Amino acid sequence: MIELIKKLTALDGTSGDEGDIRNYIISEISQFCRYKVDSLGNIIAEKKGKKEPSKKIMLDAHMDEVGLIITSITDDGFLRFKTLGGINTSALMFKRVKIGGKIPGAISGKPIHLCSGDEDKKLPKTDTLYIDIGASSKKEAEKLVSVGDRAVFTSDFTECGNKIISKALDDRIGCAILIKLIKEYDEFDFTAVFSVQEEIGLRGAKVATYSVNPDAAVIIEGTTAADIADVAEEKRVCFLGKGPAVSFMDRSTVYDREYYLAAINSGISVQPKRAVAGGNNSGAVHLTRAGVRTIAISVPCRYIHSSSSAADTWDIMSAFDLCKFMINYIAND
Amino acid sequence: MEIKELLKNLTEATGIGNIREATEKASGYLSKFCEVSYTDNLGVIAKIDGARDYTMLIEAHIDQVGFIVTNIDDEGFLTVALCGGIDLRALPSRQVDIHGKKKIRGVFCSTPPHLSENDVVYDKIDNLKIDSLLGEKAKELITIGDYVTFAAGFNELAGDLVCSRSLDDRAGVAAVIELASRFKDKKPPVNLVFCLSDMEELALRGAKTSAFKISPDEAIAIDVSFSDGPDINPLDCGKIGKGAMIGVSPVLDSDMSKKLLMLADKFSISCQTEVMGSSTGTDADVISVTKSGVKTGLVSIPLRNMHSECEIISIPDVLSVCDLLERYIEAVNDND
Repeated sequence: MIELIKKLTALDGTSGDEGDIRNYIISEISQFCRYKVDSLGNIIAEKKGKKEPSKKIMLDAHMDEVGLIITSITDDGFLRFKTLGGINTSALMFKRVKIGGKIPGAISGKPIHLCSGDEDKKLPKTDTLYIDIGASSKKEAEKLVSVGDRAVFTSDFTECGNKIISKALDDRIGCAILIKLIKEYDEFDFTAVFSVQEEIGLRGAKVATYSVNPDAAVIIEGTTAADIADVAEEKRVCFLGKGPAVSFMDRSTVYDREYYLAAINSGISVQPKRAVAGGNNSGAVHLTRAGVRTIAISVPCRYIHSSSSAADTWDIMSAFDLCKFMINYIAND
Repeated sequence: MEIKELLKNLTEATGIGNIREATEKASGYLSKFCEVSYTDNLGVIAKIDGARDYTMLIEAHIDQVGFIVTNIDDEGFLTVALCGGIDLRALPSRQVDIHGKKKIRGVFCSTPPHLSENDVVYDKIDNLKIDSLLGEKAKELITIGDYVTFAAGFNELAGDLVCSRSLDDRAGVAAVIELASRFKDKKPPVNLVFCLSDMEELALRGAKTSAFKISPDEAIAIDVSFSDGPDINPLDCGKIGKGAMIGVSPVLDSDMSKKLLMLADKFSISCQTEVMGSSTGTDADVISVTKSGVKTGLVSIPLRNMHSECEIISIPDVLSVCDLLERYIEAVNDND
């Protein structure tokens, strides 16, 4: 599983540009299921199990990651950009990126030594930052990059004990769990959706769910763990090492109460997500057609949406176990 | 020697406090061209004997900016103090190497999205904790006083630019090594002493003691200085790729500055002038007041994003520093 996450995070796929992720996932799953790619680029895979469930069950993980899109090139050859998905300005300042899958650059700005007054105490506006690729003119830059190219964080996958640090853990962890389910779980039939464009408004899951038309859905995600220094206990949301977080409500969804309780009482180590915050594909999925009963299983990630998100490998394995439990639960319901 | 390869090797090694990988790596290179005569906690000194009993010091600093651990809590979060001036706003979510009993990868805590980042005022390093991801085991592997450095690699950019941590002042160190290599097979007119001093980022400590020990007749420091960018006043900085920045300042010897400018012009070496109103903020400030005084010059390599993990320099700028100082050394007797 961890090797699979390492391979998936090494690939780049911002919203609307998930091709490399999609091709890799297809290479992993094609022997184990029937699949199709829809018009937005979602993978919809039908996995046959030993039995037919009482309800049509869909599992979703999104392929896209947060990143940048190049919006213009200055006369001096610097690149201006917008963010794809929510990224803190502090996560961008003086950070190494890769543009168009190959060109290295550095998000640059004014060094503090040249700041005046309290300019260096407040975050700058994101649109004052720029990427330096070493080009000395617009013409030279245009030989290497084009407006509309995507950029992602450059970051090594690091394993330290039972913790992993990488970009794009949100939601390549979900993709890895779903790939492993397709390969290893064979009790009941289920539909796996690897969706596009989650980070820019849950767009892929919306259309995929319409096509699949499920009765119930399990969304596999990464969620904010704020169990860090100087954050009060009640604001920590969820904790690394205490199992997957299950939400009762967030800013996008009021979750199915019965499924939530089933997960909490599953006997697998699970924690409630202790905040009505954030959101995920559930927001689009649970309101599709006449409504879909939905549960989100989230792997706690510290420093989500940065180059250095951190997760616990034991939580990931427990999330995998909880997914199997929930398919069985829903199928027998 | 390939400067890019040299810089990659020098920046991948760490040099801060008791972590002396960079010092060892650099002395290894220097020992190919000259006699490494002295190494202490504050620097490396190497020399090439010249034709005349007159000592010219060529200096760069080997240390890099970083942090030092001041507290470790029960959940494995570290409080650190700064070693050098670092932009606190760029620290959240940054990966670092914690140089404990072994090298440990940590991450600077960032404000989670449900708590507003705009509420944060970046005025105290104490408010920014490092997550060792070790939980309660952190105290077994990390000790108060351990050093922490940016964990970021080396990238070649377009146009002969490179991006890395610690190019301040490994770019200068690379120039010193390259310059030493050029005098391997030709005897310089005067004794050359190459010094890579420690703790520049901590109030220029290493150069102070090294210069005392060497007691040179004249000295040139090689450091980096601010380069251009869209929001940077062009009057505050040099321009990357436009060559060595020749320092002009009341603390520097004005005849040396003039001679450097004259030689750049005479031999068509690309250069630019950097005028500073008072002290230079480099080792030149302390070298010049060593013992009864040393006439000192300063040549700088333009650098973008100073003290971040994304420092950027131009390889031809490093070479123009070497070309200029090679000519300077060869012409050092001309005034006498």
